[in-house]
Amino acid sequence: MNGVGEFFSWSRFVDDIPRLLPYLPVTLGIVAYAIILGVFLGMVIALLRIHGQWFFQPFLRLYISFMRGTPMLVQILIVFYGLPIVLQALGIEANRWDKIVFVYIAFALNEGAFLSEIFRSSILSVPTGQMEAALSVGLTRWQAYRRIVLPQAIRIALPSFGTDFIALFHGTSLAFLIGVVDIMGRAKTLGASTKHALEAYLFIALLFIVASALLRLLFHFLDRKLSYT
Amino acid sequence: MIEIKDVQKSFNGQSVLKKVSLQVEDGDVVAVLGPSGSGKTTFLRCINFLEHADAGELSIGPKTVDLNRASKREILAVRRKTAFVFQNYNLFNNKTVLENIMEGLVTARKVPVKAAREKAEESLVWVGLKEKRDAYPAQLSGGQQQRVGIARAVVLEPEVILFDEPTSAMDPELVGETLEVIRKVAHRGITMIIVTHEMSFAREIANKVVFMDGGVVVEEGTPEEIFGHPKEERTKKFLSRFINAESMYYI
Amino acid sequence: MEFNAVYFWESLQSGLTYLPRTMELTGIPILCGFVFGILFAVVRVYKVSFFSPLIAVFVVIYQGLPTVVALLIFNLMFMANFNAVSSSLSLGITAAQIDNIWIGIVVLSLQAICNIEEAFRGAFYSVDNGQHAAALSVGLTEVQTLRRIILPQMLPVALPMVTNNIVGIIKNSSIVVAIGITEVLAGASIPASKTYSFLESYIAAALIYWVLTACVEYTFRRIELRGRKYRRQLA
Repeated sequence: MNGVGEFFSWSRFVDDIPRLLPYLPVTLGIVAYAIILGVFLGMVIALLRIHGQWFFQPFLRLYISFMRGTPMLVQILIVFYGLPIVLQALGIEANRWDKIVFVYIAFALNEGAFLSEIFRSSILSVPTGQMEAALSVGLTRWQAYRRIVLPQAIRIALPSFGTDFIALFHGTSLAFLIGVVDIMGRAKTLGASTKHALEAYLFIALLFIVASALLRLLFHFLDRKLSYT
Repeated sequence: MIEIKDVQKSFNGQSVLKKVSLQVEDGDVVAVLGPSGSGKTTFLRCINFLEHADAGELSIGPKTVDLNRASKREILAVRRKTAFVFQNYNLFNNKTVLENIMEGLVTARKVPVKAAREKAEESLVWVGLKEKRDAYPAQLSGGQQQRVGIARAVVLEPEVILFDEPTSAMDPELVGETLEVIRKVAHRGITMIIVTHEMSFAREIANKVVFMDGGVVVEEGTPEEIFGHPKEERTKKFLSRFINAESMYYI
Repeated sequence: MEFNAVYFWESLQSGLTYLPRTMELTGIPILCGFVFGILFAVVRVYKVSFFSPLIAVFVVIYQGLPTVVALLIFNLMFMANFNAVSSSLSLGITAAQIDNIWIGIVVLSLQAICNIEEAFRGAFYSVDNGQHAAALSVGLTEVQTLRRIILPQMLPVALPMVTNNIVGIIKNSSIVVAIGITEVLAGASIPASKTYSFLESYIAAALIYWVLTACVEYTFRRIELRGRKYRRQLA
């Protein structure tokens, strides 16, 4: 029953697993870079949106609107083709950079925009009395932000952050379309060499489904665990 | 001595404080009375820079700062000599009762954590909430939250504690326990300025009463003078309304 | 290498000629999403036996699946099995005769159904329990309660989520290039195959998507505001 012409075979499915898993860290790397850079960028943008001078605002709004209003795939492509040109104008040669660097940057820029909106609304939803009370016991504005307002804002942001995180994780599956060899890219090359891609894609599907469900549970658990009400 | 001179403040062109001045001696308990909208809360908030005054001066001891042009450093210095008790408590939601009380000590005044914890625990015993030390604000009643708020202020040993209508947001049956704690603060000889609607309480604990209306101080004096023999017509009218209303509770 | 306005303009025009394809790829899924999404939400809210858990499991699975993975799997299954199924039913058509845009439409429709089901279910649970009891207590029937009391209170909660989902479907429709369907993104990059002006093409595509999603957001924002005004008048 295991002929080459067969549509789906369990033995191929099992064979594919050890060929795919070594590439999982590449996928997770994209998530890690995007989240670390995105949280930093998002926090800076959120604070600028709340406290920054007025002339920043239209630019930030335009940036956020673009990142939210255009497809992730198109953004990856624009960064991949556009960033080397921008960098060249600044005298930096980026044409030979590893493709994955552009993916890191594209996802970080996208995450920065999405997270800034999440952070902004959660910072604004912390009652002003919390800041006032912190100032009244003698904290500086920065101390009050760091110790009182931000921890509460992060707590409020957690559910949205979880949804965003899962979307980011799903989004990484697009990186192979510009030729990055992550787990999806590996599945594609396996498909090309064996003429059977279905098993590899099904394994990846399973991986994403299980990981998404676990992440949802994790954020749900964190949400209850970190509750102080 | 604390001296506040000629505070002015307007919101959107609407003048809320018109040259309000007040002198407070060390150990004074000053009650600020007045109808809502009289500017008494704004006045209190200006002293702690929670509201940015348009003009005015504040002296605590020998130091004088301009309420309009104070530098960040001056504002911080004033805030570290004062403490504020809020109408809606404003306990730090993300911190336990004990952490709430320690926050100002540890972060603002750089008291070592161990010493701060001891002081905080002591103050909790003092307001009768020792068993709530690890609870979060959301788990406490309004009266309990305000007692923590008072402990948070007292533990800083400020030159003055500013109370902004400390009991007006809570259920009537919880007011008594809170006033009891404020009474204890007064008996400790801590200088206090209290904005309040609790007339009989003000009369009992204050040694100086200020009546404000329409953004000005209408009349000030001892409780005996204000409550017993008010001179101004506006004071009389306000008090008669209140005293009638208050006595109705006891019928 | 620098930005070429002529190439950009060509790409924009080329992309726009494929706008109807993108509309097809998003319009049909959104329509399916509303019809079946709301139906499934009702099934789950009323805990219809067998169907309710079935939908629940399907939603968890399908929402865990990235769009591109779903597209690749559905595409392979279609290619491999359609001819066999077709001939066994003697339909007389082969896979090659079918426009593969339908694979994209199916994948995106399932996504829209899951998302809208979740949005409406969430909105339903956001309405206070007492509303239902109160409506029944004044003598409304179950259907009247749903139509006159619950639904009007659900919509303001559901609307922003629905807007997000529609914008999401529009953006995700670009991923169908992975299985070779030509729509706005692929359309905009057709001139680039000769001129290598890829950046211009992708910026042109981005612009089209941007305008499209901005229109959707603006329209729904207007609807939201109208609902809010109506509520304030009542209050």
